[in-house]
Amino acid sequence: MHDMTQEDLAQTIGVTRQTILAIEKGKYVPSLDLAFRIARHFNVNIEEVFTYDEEVRSVEID
Amino acid sequence: MKKNTFYLFIGCIALALLALFWYSVEIHNQLLIEVAFIIGIVIIYLARRKVTDLIEDERSRKITQIAAMRTFQVFWVVFCAFSIGAVMQMLRVPSFPRERGFERPPMDILPPEIMPLKMMGYVQLGLLCLMIFLYVGFRFYYARKYGDWETDEE
Repeated sequence: MHDMTQEDLAQTIGVTRQTILAIEKGKYVPSLDLAFRIARHFNVNIEEVFTYDEEVRSVEID
Repeated sequence: MKKNTFYLFIGCIALALLALFWYSVEIHNQLLIEVAFIIGIVIIYLARRKVTDLIEDERSRKITQIAAMRTFQVFWVVFCAFSIGAVMQMLRVPSFPRERGFERPPMDILPPEIMPLKMMGYVQLGLLCLMIFLYVGFRFYYARKYGDWETDEE
């Protein structure tokens, strides 16, 4: 659907490729601001890109 | 300025500071190296702002913040323990009741002899090294936790 690399997305929204990779792998939970930027980049609602996962959140807090 | 140029620049500053340290020892002028060190650090901070390919985003800032916080949490305990020990050495006046015939230890040891001021420099350097090691260790740990070394380009 969106033919782009992690590097392209990272450059467009102003973060590093490692951040995109970490978000994809669930190692990093982005801020609301970054989540909205990603969603807006793809012209979709934020819920279509991110879902709230209780387990991931608990790991993040630890 | 490119990232690699910046790292080379830091190396040059470090070498210059080393030379100045040696020179200040030779001429017995501690103010020279102290002022030079502060100026060197300010120059590095200013140069860092000119680096164009060093991207800092919210994840890297978070790693830095957490590593710094954990370093502080551990360091203040070590620092406090050391300080309490040092103060105990200075205040070694037994005040509890003693048996008859107990002789107080001689009080001819004054604080400067217990911990000469020159020694404080070594102690401070040791604590500073501990702080740096702690920070680097925590930084590696949290960088790994937040996916700094993940590689799977799709």
